[in-house]
Amino acid sequence: MKPTLQSTVRRIAAPLTALVLAAALGSCGDNSGGGSSSETKSITLWMYPVIGDQAASDTYWQKVEKDFEAANSGIDLKLEMQPWANRDEKIAAAFAGKKGPDVVLMIPDQLPQYVNNGSLEPVDDVVAQDKDKFLPAAIPGLTVDGKVYAAPIYHTVTSTMFNKTILTKAGIGKPPETWDEIKAAAPKIKAAGFSTLDYSASPEASLNLNFYPLLWQAGGKVFADDGKTVAFNQAPGLEALTFLKTLWDEGAIPKTALTNGNVVADQPFGKGQVAMAMTSTPADAGTVAKTWGAANVEVGTPLTGKKQVGFGLPGGLAVNAASENVDAAKKFLSFMIQPAQLEDLSKASGFYTPRTDVKAPVTDPAVAKFADALQYAVPGEPNAAARQVMSLLSAEIQAALTGKKTPQQALDDAAEQANDLLSRQR
Amino acid sequence: MLLLFLVFRILPVIGAALLSLTDYRLSGRWTFIALDNYTRLLTDSLFHQALGVTLTYTVIFVPLTVLLSLGTAVLLHQVVWRRGFFRGVFFLPYVTSIVLAAVIWKWIYDVQDGLLNAVLGLVSIGPVDFLGESNLVLPSIAVTSAWKGFGYSMLILLSGLQAVPRSYLEAAMIDGAGAWQRFRYIVLPQLRPVLFFVLVIETIGAFQVFDAMYVMTGGGPVRSSYSLVYFLYDSGFKYFDFGYASAIGLVLFAIVLIVSLVQRRLVGRED
Repeated sequence: MKPTLQSTVRRIAAPLTALVLAAALGSCGDNSGGGSSSETKSITLWMYPVIGDQAASDTYWQKVEKDFEAANSGIDLKLEMQPWANRDEKIAAAFAGKKGPDVVLMIPDQLPQYVNNGSLEPVDDVVAQDKDKFLPAAIPGLTVDGKVYAAPIYHTVTSTMFNKTILTKAGIGKPPETWDEIKAAAPKIKAAGFSTLDYSASPEASLNLNFYPLLWQAGGKVFADDGKTVAFNQAPGLEALTFLKTLWDEGAIPKTALTNGNVVADQPFGKGQVAMAMTSTPADAGTVAKTWGAANVEVGTPLTGKKQVGFGLPGGLAVNAASENVDAAKKFLSFMIQPAQLEDLSKASGFYTPRTDVKAPVTDPAVAKFADALQYAVPGEPNAAARQVMSLLSAEIQAALTGKKTPQQALDDAAEQANDLLSRQR
Repeated sequence: MLLLFLVFRILPVIGAALLSLTDYRLSGRWTFIALDNYTRLLTDSLFHQALGVTLTYTVIFVPLTVLLSLGTAVLLHQVVWRRGFFRGVFFLPYVTSIVLAAVIWKWIYDVQDGLLNAVLGLVSIGPVDFLGESNLVLPSIAVTSAWKGFGYSMLILLSGLQAVPRSYLEAAMIDGAGAWQRFRYIVLPQLRPVLFFVLVIETIGAFQVFDAMYVMTGGGPVRSSYSLVYFLYDSGFKYFDFGYASAIGLVLFAIVLIVSLVQRRLVGRED
């Protein structure tokens, strides 16, 4: 039978009507996320393995979820654990699509680029009440252009760590604490069949944990004061890279440094082939203790060049400016910076609390020694192009180490590229 | 099907082309800058370097993979005993993750603890820093990628070999043609369409190399393994310069298209 016009219209209209209704219902569902006060608001948190132990991490965050939801009826907290690797790429992609989590963990050198892009909501009101109860670097480290963009929940610190077995075999009684002492120890350690200093020169490794501490120890800076040009190619930068190059040429740094990441277990240091690392964390101490035995692990203070400087920063929770539930997200931040949450997080993670009025009991003596390094911790140099500049400089550091360029040439070439990049920033 | 192709293939390409004419960044703010991204590419030393690396890698990888695939296919074609088993074994790397393969090969190449250096050490060679030497890093990565991917081309070539009419080969044998002559004058011409397909597929794969470099070297040493796609990735997801990244993508597309057309003219032509 030939279809009539009426039946044809009906055949087309029926599914179309169903689609429109489905879309309408769907949009009603969407509104419930951002919606009226009588309905449950949902906020998503992107968290990273701040707590290294999986079971402890699960326990802690499940308790946070339960306690927060009990204290804030009407808010549903959804936790999504993310890996550290490639976090900026994932956050950038999510923010670019105006999606992403409502709350995300960030560190100081990540913040400026997202602030510049208008992706983050200021959270001054969240920390205002307790502002004077935080460590001196905690709030300023998470501040951009005078506004606070993340609420600190932990503080990290790095310091030197030594393999005592190797030092003993090399006949070194006192672990090296300065550049000069490292240079003096290197030949003895090499004679014993080991390398002296572990280093990550992979272009994907953060310079905050390798070259920048040396630069700061030499009295230098990555960026000029106005943040519009770089300063790492000045005299202190040259001194730092020359120091590194000297160690490289003497075989004091493992040749695998060119491809090594910053993961201690995979590094020659973790494998017991290198005497010391300069930016180890308390978690690293735990990792190597399992391999070498706790008795062979010695934690020192941050290295001294012209100055004694280590790396350490606050980690904070930032709020997505595109979130439909900014108020609920801020309530979560307020909840997280309370002493009870911070103390438990510190116990579980081994990181330090950012609040001066909260002291998590430290039972591990190695972890206790890291606390001494907090006073030397520099939280990095915030700049919207910080991560990009790192990748430009990393390649040139490799060029210097492998002898393709002199240290000054390498730094100048990196500076030229970085300044060009900075001039194009909006 | 056409609709799916339009939505998932053509529209994104059009989107990327439009994006490449803007300075679109993470914030969503953008302005129309016409061909500025393309003129910037012409003077960008990083682009020149990445292009050089990609071309060099392609020159190493494509012949290596095609020869390996062809050689293995010819061998398998001869094998009667457990052919299916050997075909499965050779195909196995293709279905493993490139990231996993790269991690394992990184260990094999390791200058201190690597398997390869341990073997070379037995004959008093080395240690060789396969991933730390600028002139060794691309061949080393090409070997990894070839090992990972040759199984696919091998299967296609094997099916091509099986399609060569047996009567041609028997006639040549009667005429006194040797094994090499039969391969050169009968098998290879018959394989030409399949070989062309394999060449194009492997060349496109070579121009898109990224994962192995990212995992094994991070683009180093000194950007010796920093490919065009790596440059695109950095521009988009490290520098958040999406307009520029789109321009790189389109230039890469144009290069691959031109190379494929040249290959078609040289290898895929009809006799």
